[in-house]
Amino acid sequence: MGRQYLLLFALLAACTRGPDDDLQYIKQARSIAAEWALVNEQANAGRVNVTYVTAMHGWLRDGLLAASSSLSEPKSDYGAEISALLALPSDAAPATLRSHSESLKLIEDALESA
Amino acid sequence: MTPKGRIKLVSELLDLPLIDSEGKYCGIVDDVELTGRAGNSLKFRALLVGPGAWARRLPAWASWLVRITVGARVTRVPIDKIRTIGPAVRLKVPGRELGLHQSEDRAVRWIPRKGAL
Amino acid sequence: MNPLELTLGIMTAVGGFVDISELVFAARAGSTFGYALIWVFAFATIGIIIFAEMSGRVAAVAKQPVFNLMRHRLGLKLGLVTLAASVISNLITCAAEIGGVALILNYLTGAPYLLLAAGMTVLLIVSIWVLPFKWIERTYGLLGLFMIVFAVALVAIHPPWDQIALGLVPQVPSGLSTKELLTFGYFTVAILSAVMFPYEVYFYSSGGIEEGWTPKDLLTNRVTSIVGMGLGSLLAIAILASSAQLFGPANVDPEIPGSAALQAAIPFGKWGLILALLGMLFAVAGAAVETCLANAYSIAQYFGWMWGRRKKPWEAPRFTMSWIALFGLAFGIVLTGVDVMTLVEFAVLFSILVLPLTYLPLLLLAGDQKFMREHANGAVAKLLGWFYFGVITMAAVAALPLFFLTSGGNG
Repeated sequence: MGRQYLLLFALLAACTRGPDDDLQYIKQARSIAAEWALVNEQANAGRVNVTYVTAMHGWLRDGLLAASSSLSEPKSDYGAEISALLALPSDAAPATLRSHSESLKLIEDALESA
Repeated sequence: MTPKGRIKLVSELLDLPLIDSEGKYCGIVDDVELTGRAGNSLKFRALLVGPGAWARRLPAWASWLVRITVGARVTRVPIDKIRTIGPAVRLKVPGRELGLHQSEDRAVRWIPRKGAL
Repeated sequence: MNPLELTLGIMTAVGGFVDISELVFAARAGSTFGYALIWVFAFATIGIIIFAEMSGRVAAVAKQPVFNLMRHRLGLKLGLVTLAASVISNLITCAAEIGGVALILNYLTGAPYLLLAAGMTVLLIVSIWVLPFKWIERTYGLLGLFMIVFAVALVAIHPPWDQIALGLVPQVPSGLSTKELLTFGYFTVAILSAVMFPYEVYFYSSGGIEEGWTPKDLLTNRVTSIVGMGLGSLLAIAILASSAQLFGPANVDPEIPGSAALQAAIPFGKWGLILALLGMLFAVAGAAVETCLANAYSIAQYFGWMWGRRKKPWEAPRFTMSWIALFGLAFGIVLTGVDVMTLVEFAVLFSILVLPLTYLPLLLLAGDQKFMREHANGAVAKLLGWFYFGVITMAAVAALPLFFLTSGGNG
């Protein structure tokens, strides 16, 4: 009987990954949003060229998609933040991007201190 | 050191690179051929070079794998063809004379002889 | 000692110091822990200087590169394990460098990534085929000097120099949680690995033979390794410090290598960006060449084949086929679609696991008076060599647990 409970526990543990396991993807998305904001800020100031900006947008979006698809709880508040980021146009305002990054940072900090 | 002196087989000979009289690398001392008997003094007669020589020193499964992938060729370098033994074994003759460049000669057919400065 | 040759040698070492792994980890170390990991870069640089000098000395005095004598020192079986491990480690590193080059070219041109990876692999093969050894080394090393823009950019953003100086003091920041401490530990191990990659020593010692070093070149060897690598490490530290200043406060932990170029774009605009990308391109391309050739050297030397780019490709045919095949394999890894950052993580992880096997035979060889005569390791070299060997062994033991506990430094 004890062995059956152990097996059940192991199965449950494997199925319910939860926010702690999503922490690395939250961090990744937070950083990508901040990098995206930095790139757009430099683009608006004329400090980087179009080719670089387009390439960076492509790679950052790929990273965000990868983080989003790796979440175990996509319907969570952090899942919603990442989806909102993905819905933004490439040339989104840096302030908008930073606000999403900061929201993710708050969630990240809360999970780390829990 | 010359090949006629006393020699520590493992620390002073085995797995040393072979360089021929033209300064070309032509293998590694993969094994040695000895005369004499256990309990009496042994004399080394020749160096053995090739996958057939070093594969024998591996576990059976690894030896089999080497045999089926690169073959079991062994080339023999008699003691009288050796000049000195030091950080490398230096030969008195070109490696080709002893059959030591066969694999390189086979491989060179695949390399175009052009373009390099 | 020819002053021009020496200067070129030093500049080549400077331009060739930073590769994709150092770039990535320097940027992430700075954004995550501020200036607290500068000392690890300095510490690791001293380590690579010690072992590079030893490997150059072995090449000049015993007239044998490290791997030639590796099998003799370790024996056939352990030598084969070392060969296999270092080939795998260098192959993954080469794939990371090729992927890195393709990424950088994508930032510069916008052309498709995989097409650039294929094109670049062909170009690297052609450059090694056509150019003599010295030109291969010098071309990539000297063009890698565009990386100096990162050092100039750091000065331009007026960082807190006192805090940077304090970063040189060995430290663990206070107030870190357990997870942050483990992440700090992981970064320490990763930086040690990235700076002391095995391929550097194999390439450097084989390069010494390629250039025909003799005992007369021992001073050149010493000056090149100390000054060249020392100055080169300043570029990596500049990237770390800029990252601490610009990225940390902005919540950026660079997820893609292209973000590092912003360090030069922010103070200097488009020209800074272009110079930074060009510097990264040539430094990483040079590293791709070095990792591939280091592997080919190791294989050829272990099996006693003819080797060397000082010979024409058809004069060392199995060696030639090796480095071409290795480039092909590295490109094959890139083709699987594994992203560059993941390749960098694995390259660094495999490398630290292999490092003790790499440096032990070198330490034994360089201290062996039978081979090295009066040029064997003195008391200082012995002490430092064994100390660093102890450190990298401990790092190798800690690497895998730290990698898993911190999700590869991602917390």
